[in-house]
Amino acid sequence: MNAATPATPATPLAGVRNVSKWFGPLMALNGVSLEIGPGITGLVGPNGAGKTTLLRLLTGQIKPSLGRLEICGHDAWLAKARDRIGLCPFGDATWDELSGRQLIRVTAGLRGFTGAGAHRRAEVVLETVGMADRANRPVRTYSKGMRQRIKLGQALIHDPDLLVLDEPLNGVDPVGREELNDLFLALAKQGKAVLVSSHILHEMDQLADRILFICRGKLLASGSLAEIRDMLDDHPLKVRISCEAPRRIAPQLLTFESVKAVSIRPPEDLLLEVQNPGRFYAEFGEFAAGNDAQVHRLKATDTSTEAVFDYLMERASHPK
Amino acid sequence: METANEHSTSQSVPVRHSRFAACAQVFRLTLRRQFFSRQTIVTAVLLGLSLGITALWAYPKSWNPDPRTSAQLASQILSPLYMGFLLPIICLSYASAAISGERTGQTLVYLLTTNIPRPLVYLAIYAAVVLLTLAVTLGGLSALCLVIDENGLEAFRVFSTVVTCATVTYVGLFLLFSAGVRRATFLALAYALMIETLTANIPGVVKRVTVSFYAKSWLYETGEPLDLAPTGAALGLFNPVSAASAQWVLALASVGFLALGMWVFSRKEYD
Repeated sequence: MNAATPATPATPLAGVRNVSKWFGPLMALNGVSLEIGPGITGLVGPNGAGKTTLLRLLTGQIKPSLGRLEICGHDAWLAKARDRIGLCPFGDATWDELSGRQLIRVTAGLRGFTGAGAHRRAEVVLETVGMADRANRPVRTYSKGMRQRIKLGQALIHDPDLLVLDEPLNGVDPVGREELNDLFLALAKQGKAVLVSSHILHEMDQLADRILFICRGKLLASGSLAEIRDMLDDHPLKVRISCEAPRRIAPQLLTFESVKAVSIRPPEDLLLEVQNPGRFYAEFGEFAAGNDAQVHRLKATDTSTEAVFDYLMERASHPK
Repeated sequence: METANEHSTSQSVPVRHSRFAACAQVFRLTLRRQFFSRQTIVTAVLLGLSLGITALWAYPKSWNPDPRTSAQLASQILSPLYMGFLLPIICLSYASAAISGERTGQTLVYLLTTNIPRPLVYLAIYAAVVLLTLAVTLGGLSALCLVIDENGLEAFRVFSTVVTCATVTYVGLFLLFSAGVRRATFLALAYALMIETLTANIPGVVKRVTVSFYAKSWLYETGEPLDLAPTGAALGLFNPVSAASAQWVLALASVGFLALGMWVFSRKEYD
């Protein structure tokens, strides 16, 4: 795992070289360098971290203030680069007055497909995103999940090498998420690079081969999920335990190497400050099995993405 | 939805056609979206009201039973109402909404992320808006002229060329506004009312920055049979340029606005 330094996948399709972008006094990206290759790359960061700015730079919507972005060897601002990219933007907006089928055909037309070729391609894509049977309805009548699928169809219409998806699972129900994740994995298997942004870390659990952590305009860390997990093992965590006899087990918990502090919250809660969550869960499991602890509930209270990013930010600012 | 192993988007991807086909799609999409829009409703209402006013004006009165002439139509309806108000409003309603409408609707991203170079996207939008606006302005003009039956044909012949050129110039200008600012309709309205209407009617050379000045100058010369040009001191105050000069200015302004619009659109970072 590299903290604040680029990971280098094989055969990069997109290269970001020391890119900074500011809007007036606001620095949205600060010296970001990374490469994106085949497979699924998760771009994770809290809201306002700079994810969408990076995606807009990659898709040639805006120019970097400093640095350079390349897509398959072409400057990202050029039309040639956009031929290799498919974008599923954040938000629901699209040409709502059209039906799903018309929308996909229009998008095919915008990519240079004509006549029967456009129709055939539209049907393949509608089938791929699971919208073929609902494509004659106007887009304005679609649910959030259906809109995400049809937008994904727009991104896939020209069979791009790099698929850029800005929060594609936002608002999609669990079944839909599973299906979309399957689709992303299938696209990755075909050798495509899929860049998925999200502000929810655990969305990437089953999905991403690599994760890029971005926060406050900086690339904090990049690496495989296992590497990220290793790093987060050091992340201090607050754990709340509800049990029958908190006063009795509190001194015993303090003997754990992973437990830094214990406080009692009457009537039956304990609040623990844990240094190494993985180790703590192992130790606590053994303890609970071997003692009559009568634990009702165990819950980590600060596992939000923001908490993780605060930790990573601190780590990036003060490396060990 | 299919299972993961069944997905394949790259199968049977047909050979794609030229960039021209993609531009043609932008053209068709813009034409469709602009036609089925609020702009068309507003334009239809304004044209309907104008037709009503013209019909009332043309209806034979007891004190004036003679049918209206082409010259009367030109000086009392077409010059003040159509050229001075309707034409710029119709042009701005379509042109100013073409890009800024996509921008505020957050759909411009789909045009910006295609593989069509931005200047060509702009050109395709421009062509669509010019075609639609010309259809409406010339259609509106012919409808107003037909209110006085065949007498209006002479007025149509004189006005149609000027209206065509003025429409192209106005569309170029208002589409430039649309490429430059988010709320282009407000800017275009302010321009049409403050600059085109007020400045164009004050003495001096300031009015030479307006499109309507050159359109009027052209009309005053070619519309001689309709007796459109002011006489005496009024003509001196207006101080028109020749029709040839007006045509050159309108043509150059149209090309200039188009080129500037393409340049702005190709460089601007839209949010």
